Amino acid sequence: MTSIPATATQHPHVEMQRPRSKLRAADAIATGTHGLRSRKGRTLLTAIGISIGIASMIAVLGISASSKADLIAQIDRLGTNLLHVQAGNDLFGDAAQLPPESPTMVRRIGPVDQASSVSALDTDVRRNKYVEDNNGLDVFAAETHLYSTLEASLAHGRFLDSQTSTIPTVVLGAVAAQRLGINNLQGAPVVDIGGRNFAVIGILNTLTLNPDIDRAVLIGNDAAETFLGAEIVPTAIYLRANPEHIEAVRDVLPPTVNPADPNEVTVSRPSDALEARAEVDKNLQNLLLGLGAVALIVGGVGIANVMVISVLERRGEIGLRRALGATRTHIATQFILESATLATLGGIIGTILGAAVTYTYATQQNWRIDIPIEALALGITAALALGALAGLYPATRAAHLDPAEAVRPTT
Amino acid sequence: MSLTRFLRHRATTPPTPQEATPPVLELVDIAKHYPASPPIKALDGVSLTVHPGELVGIVGASGSGKSTLLNIIGTLDRPTAGHAYIEGTAVAELSDADRSGLRAARIGFVFQQFHLLESSTAVSNVSNGLLYQGVPRKQRTRLAIDALERVGLGHRVDHRAAKLSGGERQRVAIARAIVADPAIVLADEPTGNLDSHTSADILTLLGDLNADGTTILIITHDQDLASAFPRRVTVNDGRIIDDHQTQFPTLIPAATQ
Ligand SMILES: Nc1ncnc2c1ncn2[C@@H]1O[C@H](COP(=O)(O)OP(=O)(O)OP(=O)(O)O)[C@@H](O)[C@H]1O
Ligand SMILES: [Mg+2]
Repeated sequence: MTSIPATATQHPHVEMQRPRSKLRAADAIATGTHGLRSRKGRTLLTAIGISIGIASMIAVLGISASSKADLIAQIDRLGTNLLHVQAGNDLFGDAAQLPPESPTMVRRIGPVDQASSVSALDTDVRRNKYVEDNNGLDVFAAETHLYSTLEASLAHGRFLDSQTSTIPTVVLGAVAAQRLGINNLQGAPVVDIGGRNFAVIGILNTLTLNPDIDRAVLIGNDAAETFLGAEIVPTAIYLRANPEHIEAVRDVLPPTVNPADPNEVTVSRPSDALEARAEVDKNLQNLLLGLGAVALIVGGVGIANVMVISVLERRGEIGLRRALGATRTHIATQFILESATLATLGGIIGTILGAAVTYTYATQQNWRIDIPIEALALGITAALALGALAGLYPATRAAHLDPAEAVRPTT
Repeated sequence: MSLTRFLRHRATTPPTPQEATPPVLELVDIAKHYPASPPIKALDGVSLTVHPGELVGIVGASGSGKSTLLNIIGTLDRPTAGHAYIEGTAVAELSDADRSGLRAARIGFVFQQFHLLESSTAVSNVSNGLLYQGVPRKQRTRLAIDALERVGLGHRVDHRAAKLSGGERQRVAIARAIVADPAIVLADEPTGNLDSHTSADILTLLGDLNADGTTILIITHDQDLASAFPRRVTVNDGRIIDDHQTQFPTLIPAATQ
């Protein structure tokens, strides 16, 4: 039949406004969460699925941010203006020597605030003359102001001064003290250097930027000459320079220190090593974030799965809603809202969980706690987006159920 | 007993189809075929006109096409051929969204299996009858309570659907069907899940609602119950084989004895 039969026109009636389906926003939200509210156990379990992914991502971001914050605070404290100049290694791999006048030349560079040299001595340190030396420790002759250049601090005793530099006394680096088995100055401990006893007058705290000093025992320049017959030739120079000109200082150091052979000279900034540690963390962080993302996707698939099952189970409800006047869009909206709400719930649980993990870990590590707000917002937003995405397919299926089929009794 | 009251009521106020107003429902040569070999002719050349205020019983054997017919009338299903008009509007010309709008405002459904939201209260189930018309919540609740009172459930307003008896559940479903004051109520075996006594109560309720002016179509495959209706349409093998008006039904159904 192509034309509308006459019977229809036998009853002309006033054309009334065509009734339209509409669902208020508040009702759409209530409808979209009704399924979740009436299946609380399933809702919680599914939400937990996605919360694990979110929690691990928040924890990774939070922990690495906290660790980084701690590292940056540490670097700030230690200063980025300390430079270390070395003559490079000679043919035998030993530290080569710098020209004797090089410390003076370095001090003449404008932005250099202070500089001190050390001379590695060709001798060994032992607890006493009866034990073998196998402790891997260095003996350095040092200037008295090395202490202030390195901004060192003492665990015990005092540092070399103009007086103790001239007599057989030593100050131990933190690692050196430990390896020599000298934990404090009780009983006036002595060490054997080159067959001669030196009194220990101080023990340094760990120098994070200068592990080489940690592993060394320091004696005064004069004492080295007098008691060990050493010739004082600098092998390394530590210097502090104005942070704003640090790069310029770095560039002029090799020609200043060794005009004849600037390429032999190596200049390093010990704080760079610490910053590199933060960069290494970045790779690990990306890896962990990737794993978190995988967990998140698994959670998302779980939500899609639960939603598909839910659509199958609620065929009758969908049919009823169509009979009550819901459009396809209303049905689709209901299920997308439900899925998004479910995921957001998981996002909130995950965010709380992730923040708690970060808090616990950072507290344990004595770190400053730093959970980026963006990470929290991102966690919840990601969950919401993922939920909406996961709901797309089940919602489309629900919307396209044949209403006549959906209201039929299941037999 | 209540059914006899209903019958007496019908006898004093026989259905008076008002030819002046357009029919609530008009079907012209409706067919519904499902592809198969040979094709299943669930409906074949069905024409039916229902006027405002009528109470129509549709009877027929299982598989005769009653539900298919009701779903097409209710715009849940589309015929493969023929024309359907609800209050003069050609349903075939409406989009899916417009048909939804028509259902929301003009058609009420009652199903054999009730289709209630189990965890929701009676009043919120009934107010869902107005949900997709954008009626504000407060107003929905008010109208839903009125409807529950009309079906005799004023005392069960805040009970959860899951806690109600079968008869009460079907009353809630009927309240939901009438809450939007539709042009026609379609009931597909509304007593199919109820015992005979409760069934009679539900039929009496539907009769009362009809007496108050609601146009109602009821499917049943119980010939005895159907004989109580002032108009009885018999479907067989997808065709209407009898359309019978009884001004004064005399047969008292066995169910009420
Ligand atoms: N989706 C379908 N695909 C194929 N055949 C169908 C489909 N839906 C219904 N039918 C067939 O159409 C015929 C009419 O079905 P319908 O449900 O309308 O019967 P009914 O009179 O309501 O039966 P009952 O009293 O058992 O509810 C039946 O033969 C049925 O098998
Ligand atoms: Mg049926």
